[in-house]
Amino acid sequence: MKKLVILLFCAFSAQAEEMEVVGNVASKCVVTPDTAGVYGNPTADELSTDPTDGGVDPIVRFDVIQASMYKARILYPTSFSEAPALNDTVVWTGDVATSQVSDTSMSGYDAAKVEFDNVTEFNLTVTGSTWFKTESKAEYGYGKAFPGGVYRAVVSAECIAI
Amino acid sequence: MPVLLACCSYSYSSEEVYGTTTNAANVGLNWVMTNVLPQATGLTVNNVIYKYTTEKDPEANMLVHVQNENAQGNGYIFRATDDWSGLPGNTINKTIPVGGIGIDFWGDGSIEIEGFGTVLDPEVYYTYQYVPCDNPQVDPKCPGYIDPLTLIQEPEIDTSSEEYIQEELDREANMKAQKEEEEKEARDKFAKATEKKVRVNLENMLGLSPGAGLQKEQDALLHNALIRMSYLSTEYLGEIKGGEYPDAAMLKDSNLPDNASARRVNFAQDIMHQKIVQSQYD
Repeated sequence: MKKLVILLFCAFSAQAEEMEVVGNVASKCVVTPDTAGVYGNPTADELSTDPTDGGVDPIVRFDVIQASMYKARILYPTSFSEAPALNDTVVWTGDVATSQVSDTSMSGYDAAKVEFDNVTEFNLTVTGSTWFKTESKAEYGYGKAFPGGVYRAVVSAECIAI
Repeated sequence: MPVLLACCSYSYSSEEVYGTTTNAANVGLNWVMTNVLPQATGLTVNNVIYKYTTEKDPEANMLVHVQNENAQGNGYIFRATDDWSGLPGNTINKTIPVGGIGIDFWGDGSIEIEGFGTVLDPEVYYTYQYVPCDNPQVDPKCPGYIDPLTLIQEPEIDTSSEEYIQEELDREANMKAQKEEEEKEARDKFAKATEKKVRVNLENMLGLSPGAGLQKEQDALLHNALIRMSYLSTEYLGEIKGGEYPDAAMLKDSNLPDNASARRVNFAQDIMHQKIVQSQYD
């Protein structure tokens, strides 16, 4: 008799299910720091990553698996992330260009790059790896010597889907 | 502990060795692969990694081939071409998988330029792998290694064989004959030197001078002087009568009995000899 009651209850109850759909999207563009940058101090009022000034240009690598789907956006620094107290203005300049390519067609990236403010954008139209080199220079005041201490700045590199 | 050792030995033999060559293009745009790849049996090349910088007019046409000849035939076993035509120069960095091509196929390598432009700072590397004990004979630690020295077996010499004894006797005889020959040559040489010296002294003493027309007279004078000095034996001047010289003693054929006393002596000598030989072991 107990069993019968249960069966009747099931027959008259409403039934609903929710199903989960899962998907993983692996990025087709990978950004990897390649070479750490170093500021040289050729004169008392200048810090520069130029190798002729005793510095090292930072290099970042973009690996693209699918062509013409991404652009590389790289920002040279406009402020120090770490520095002694500075009481005068710092003038920042910089430039970003291809350093190495894995395909000769990438050699045309420099001619097609877009620059504004401290931002440089490259359309990644070829699959493969591209190494971008960033030059950075900081000049203190009007010929004023930088105070002694450690100076750090950040180069920002990101891959943006078009 | 024995189990551990056995395990290590096995892992040594079965472990594949992976590696990357040094820069093959460090001496120029052509290189010899036998100087680049380790000469290991069963080695295969997996990737070719290269990097170089081009300097060129962006408008100019330029092709750069990074290549290796096919050592087993014509053409190339590997050839990658970069087309820089209409592009500015830059540094290219490529890794190209080749899928494990055996070492025997890799001929000499080069970077060839077609068109206008130059290649600077070339770098070419090969990644490879091999099993060290693919050929067990390359390392004594490999299982299955056979010491080549054990394969060379020296022939056993039977010192009691007749052949060996005969060879030794012949060798000794040859050595003895050679020594005698050398001594004879030395004696002859000394005798000739002495004779020449005596002759020269006599010629000086007699006031003779070597002249073609007087050679006979000079020889006669020399001969007489030698006789007077008793340098030549008188037998030198003696005459030997000719004729037949028959054998003086003749032994007639007959029955010759054994000499019993000689046999006893012989046995006694044998016993003595054995005693002497044995004494060196006692």
